[in-house]
Amino acid sequence: MTADDIGEPAADPPPADPPTAERPTDAPPPGDDGVALRAVGIGYAYGDLVAARDVSFAVAKGEVLGFLGPNGAGKSTTIKMLTGQLPPREGSIEILGLPMPDKREEIQTRIGVVFEEKNLYPTLSAHENLRFFGKLFGISDVDADGLLERVGLAGRGDERVSRFSKGMQQRLMVARALVNNPEVLFLDEPTDGLDPVSARSVRQLIREEADRGAAVLLTTHDMHEADELSDRVAFINDGTILALDTPEALKLQHGRRAVKVRFAADGVVQEEVVPLDEAAGARLAELVARPDLITIHTEEATLEDVFVEFAGRRLE
Amino acid sequence: MPVRVDLVKAIVAKDLRVFLRDRFYVLVTVMGLVFYVLVFWLLPDTVDESIGLGVHIPGGEQLIAQQAGAGGGFQIVPFDSREALEAAVTDGSEVVAGLDFPEGFLEQAATGEETTVRVVLSGGAPEELRPALVGGVREIVAAIGGGEPPVALPTMSDVVLGPDRTGQQLSMRERMQPLLVFLVLIVEMFALASLVAAEIAQKTVTAVLATPTRVRDLLAAKATLGTGLAFVQAMAIALATGALLQAPLLLTVALLLGAILVTGFGLIAGASGRDFISIVFWSLLFAIPLTIPAVAVLFPGAAADWVRGLPTYGLVETIVGVTAYGEGWAQAWRSLGLVAVWCVVAFVMGLAVLSRRVERV
Repeated sequence: MTADDIGEPAADPPPADPPTAERPTDAPPPGDDGVALRAVGIGYAYGDLVAARDVSFAVAKGEVLGFLGPNGAGKSTTIKMLTGQLPPREGSIEILGLPMPDKREEIQTRIGVVFEEKNLYPTLSAHENLRFFGKLFGISDVDADGLLERVGLAGRGDERVSRFSKGMQQRLMVARALVNNPEVLFLDEPTDGLDPVSARSVRQLIREEADRGAAVLLTTHDMHEADELSDRVAFINDGTILALDTPEALKLQHGRRAVKVRFAADGVVQEEVVPLDEAAGARLAELVARPDLITIHTEEATLEDVFVEFAGRRLE
Repeated sequence: MPVRVDLVKAIVAKDLRVFLRDRFYVLVTVMGLVFYVLVFWLLPDTVDESIGLGVHIPGGEQLIAQQAGAGGGFQIVPFDSREALEAAVTDGSEVVAGLDFPEGFLEQAATGEETTVRVVLSGGAPEELRPALVGGVREIVAAIGGGEPPVALPTMSDVVLGPDRTGQQLSMRERMQPLLVFLVLIVEMFALASLVAAEIAQKTVTAVLATPTRVRDLLAAKATLGTGLAFVQAMAIALATGALLQAPLLLTVALLLGAILVTGFGLIAGASGRDFISIVFWSLLFAIPLTIPAVAVLFPGAAADWVRGLPTYGLVETIVGVTAYGEGWAQAWRSLGLVAVWCVVAFVMGLAVLSRRVERV
């Protein structure tokens, strides 16, 4: 059994050859091998409703793992188990070498969480929110201004959160998750509701945290975000991981590969999609030679296409 | 495992700040305190349980003057005419009943001649007043005529079971005191329930529990804040109404128990409510039975036996006993013990419900 089989992060750099994207289920090997977070066969059910089952994966230090799935797929339940909010009914979790939930308190001093809900104290200011959570981590001198500057809220620290826009609240949530300089970051839809500019700055921040060495577990149903940010992506649907690999590997292995050519035949714009199979070379040469050629585009598969192939449904 | 004091302190400080930022609760709290104190000092502190009795007796003004102020529970007021007497009884503010004697009554009564005396009653007069007045008139006639009542009156002795509070009727001010204290405690029960429910509804509790904070730290903080808020305000009321001047330590312990009691119920209401309306519903569900003993003090003799089984009965009994009758530990320990038992029950239930709710968010 190899590390890839159970969703272990690849050694640096990621492998050139895409690994197979079969559902990882086996237990990973023990030991401190740069893995910050390891889940083995974890599952949870709300009564008869199974929210997650047999979920296994690992995230390395400095890696961003994207958890991609539609609403209700089991992403948030998995995060709740990993952050100690829900005890897993089965399987085991190890974070920074410590078992969860047995060492929950120790683990929680070293992790940061951005929740799906905007769960800030609305009647407190941004400063007060950050300082309060700093105290809960045992930090009495939180650099609230520095954190606010990092999320683009410089100068807004004394304003009450209730006066913040949804996007500003989301950015403050990200700042709150960084209060304790976490080694593992759990981000549940961190750019949800943000305008494009704010979303970009939050993505940049996530990348910075990963570059700093933090392991990042990012749940999202935004395939572009997952593609842009994630070193690896896990597809989750109906509480089960369907595939786990780098975005490139998933797209190459499972996506459609084609070239779209547009030309003006008798003054009418037409287009032709040429699948990149054995016959593609000759047909492409033919099209490129046309005097009325307008554009040539590669038709790369998106993560959404790959997800549909695995799950039989779209992300939204 | 013990609670972490630093975390509890941080949560209490945050909750206090959130509480003080809520204009509604601050307004209700401040206005409530001022209003309750005003009401207390405006209420009469004397007891006048005599019944005003109007008398119209032509030619007998001197006899009335002798009877006026004779006591017996009647305040006798003379009237010059039948019309004036009836008007006064109808009005009801000065007298609730009257005796209208006919012209020449004294002479007729002295000679044994048959006469008719009209007993005039207002609609709100106690039912027992009519036979009492009839009996009184017969005695007057017998006294005027020099005759004796038809039977010899027996010698009577009375036995009072329990504390003898005959003649120590509570003034309206004294009766209101426990109710005012309770209103403060109940308002704080609402406030705590609201704070707890908001923490759950906004899911801030999830964020708090994703830090090294444990459920027990959170519960300790909520309990501390709720008890503290209720206790400080109950003490303020007790201080402003002068209740603390008598047996201050005993009353402080009683109010602390009261604060703990309402905090326990506040935690249950807060954890059970999902929005403001449901918090109000749950809080009222507890507030009404908790207030009944304090209301019962306003209507002596109206409380049924089951009222003694309510959690706050012992507390009201202690407050009344200390402030109105000057009782001490010797009389109050049993009542306070009962309240303490209820405190444990309410608190354990409150913490259990809240703990369960918090873990399910």
